[in-house]
Amino acid sequence: MATVQEKLITPIAGGASEGPRNKVTVVGVGQVGMACAISILLRELPDELALVDVVEDRLKGEMMDLQHGSLFLKTPKIVADKDYTVTAGSRIVIVTAGVRQQEGESRLNLVQRNVNIFKHIIPQIVKHSPNCILVVVSNPVDIMTYVTWKLSGLPKHRVIGSGCNLDSARFRYLMAEKLSVHPTSFHGWILGEHGDSSVPVWSGANVAGVNLQTLNPDIGTDQDKEGWKETHKMVVDSAYEVIKLKGYTNWAIGMSVADLTESLTKNLSRIHPVSTMVKGMYGINEDVYLSLPCVLNNSGVSSVINMTLNAEEVAKLKKSADTLWGIQKDLKDL
Amino acid sequence: MATVKEQLIEHVMKDEASIPRSKVTVVGVGAVGMACAVSILTKELTDELALVDVIEDKLKGEMMDLQHGGLFLRTPKIVADKDYSCTANSKLVVVTAGARQQEGESRLNLVQRNVNIFKFIIPNIVKYSPNCIILVVSNPVDILTYVAWKLSGFPRNRVIGSGCNLDSARFRYLMGEKLNLHPSSCHGWVIGEHGDSSVPVWSGVNVAGVSLKNLNPDMGTDKDKENWKAVHKQVVESAYEVIKLKGYTSWAIGMSVADLVETILKNLRKVHPVSTMVQGMHGVKDEVFLSVPCVLSSSGLSDVVKMTLKSDEEEQLRKSADTLWGIQKELKL
Repeated sequence: MATVQEKLITPIAGGASEGPRNKVTVVGVGQVGMACAISILLRELPDELALVDVVEDRLKGEMMDLQHGSLFLKTPKIVADKDYTVTAGSRIVIVTAGVRQQEGESRLNLVQRNVNIFKHIIPQIVKHSPNCILVVVSNPVDIMTYVTWKLSGLPKHRVIGSGCNLDSARFRYLMAEKLSVHPTSFHGWILGEHGDSSVPVWSGANVAGVNLQTLNPDIGTDQDKEGWKETHKMVVDSAYEVIKLKGYTNWAIGMSVADLTESLTKNLSRIHPVSTMVKGMYGINEDVYLSLPCVLNNSGVSSVINMTLNAEEVAKLKKSADTLWGIQKDLKDL
Repeated sequence: MATVKEQLIEHVMKDEASIPRSKVTVVGVGAVGMACAVSILTKELTDELALVDVIEDKLKGEMMDLQHGGLFLRTPKIVADKDYSCTANSKLVVVTAGARQQEGESRLNLVQRNVNIFKFIIPNIVKYSPNCIILVVSNPVDILTYVAWKLSGFPRNRVIGSGCNLDSARFRYLMGEKLNLHPSSCHGWVIGEHGDSSVPVWSGVNVAGVSLKNLNPDMGTDKDKENWKAVHKQVVESAYEVIKLKGYTSWAIGMSVADLVETILKNLRKVHPVSTMVQGMHGVKDEVFLSVPCVLSSSGLSDVVKMTLKSDEEEQLRKSADTLWGIQKELKL
């Protein structure tokens, strides 16, 4: 007795269907991971989405909740498992997993614990998707991107840290508010280490090509009567402020990661400030990851823009590199 | 000494107050409210988004987190306040606020607490956006849509309950999985009360206009060897299952609300299964809200599609209506 499906549908193409062409995996289904997932789905970027985590109930619940919205999406396959086989064939793997800082915990302690987690995660990712591009979001992101690069054995252009993409987005939002224009019309780059010692490149800040530093040579300095330096400080403080108010941040980072994913999956060759291996640039001699303007396309970081930085900005980058290397050289078993 | 802004930009018009054209307010910044907000923002439906809640820290944090994504969005103004003045001039207000069921709590108890919350919320919404459309999501949605209608004094086309929009989306997803098709190509309507006693209209289930019930007359009955009835059962249980696994549901309801918001703001006149006042239809005698297929537009809910239901389907609807009226008539409004 034929089923409804058999009566309704006559198959034409025989054989198994092809694998996915634009599969994205998100590792870690916490607030950041799920914000990345929903932003990526709503932007219709992948033809398959895989979620991985260790907490099985929550993982299954999140997968089901996304699947129930399938009517409204253009991603026909959403899967999830503790086992990494579910991630096979991914083009992009976004890593948001890791521990948060406990009160009083030193940064080094956090890093070593996250290194131990990544030792489990990264080889499994690479095993099932040897040609993927890895996007690291977990903090401290510059160090974790270095760790990922070491553990994965992938070429450096295929290991990217979300880095200062969000810092720059926040900078552009805050500066644009002050100038009453849309963030996309204010151009400004924050580079270097993601977080407290990021470097705002004031010499490049412009609207419609009009350089702000030319209009106000004191911009970004302590002498500036208009106090523009405060805007960068607000960028650095904003994460802490949001965490204090709602406990964590997720929406902005999720949207910024989706933005990176779009450049990678659609081969756009757009430039983003993301964390990449900077040895050999700006007098940096160690294997460290810092954010520079990178051209992103379907090979990953295809090239890096040579910024014209002043001596002070270069010094700050070098100082960050030294600090990061100070921590990285003590990491065990990479 | 001219500021950077003065040197850079010459203001060439006389400033006038700008009124947003497609402003959306979301009341309640819990998981559901924020999922609605993010879906609406990513779909670029609105030129201004307002958030309201009573917990001020969380509210401000959520607002900031969304604003920081401004570079990636096309919604230039995102505001939030405990005070409803920030919601002024909304075209559409999505209400997700309300108490959740505590273990062992009776439905009636929950309803009365949410009625008290709505008694504060609804008049404030109406005060600042007297011409808006109210979209109720909070549960039990059919009853709370009735409550919002009574408290707002709005005509019935401007108070809509998200109702069975999500149930139908889940049904179509599961149907698609069974037939290996995309949900948008699987047509099926779940109507009536949102939740345990929703009604799957098997006679309308079709793909490309081919009625599945014609192919399998036992569909939806207990005799059906393919057990299609289990698909509906799974729809009813899926919410409980997700809640058991992750504590709440958010993404699917958020996306389904954005779908309704899109139809309303873009005046699309698409048909959605949403909760509306059904007195006089299908033998329902009381002022109750149940989901039926409705035409949505910028005026809200302008028309209802008259489904041809079997007698047992109509019986189920009437039974739901009686249950709902039993609760509603006890409410102190």
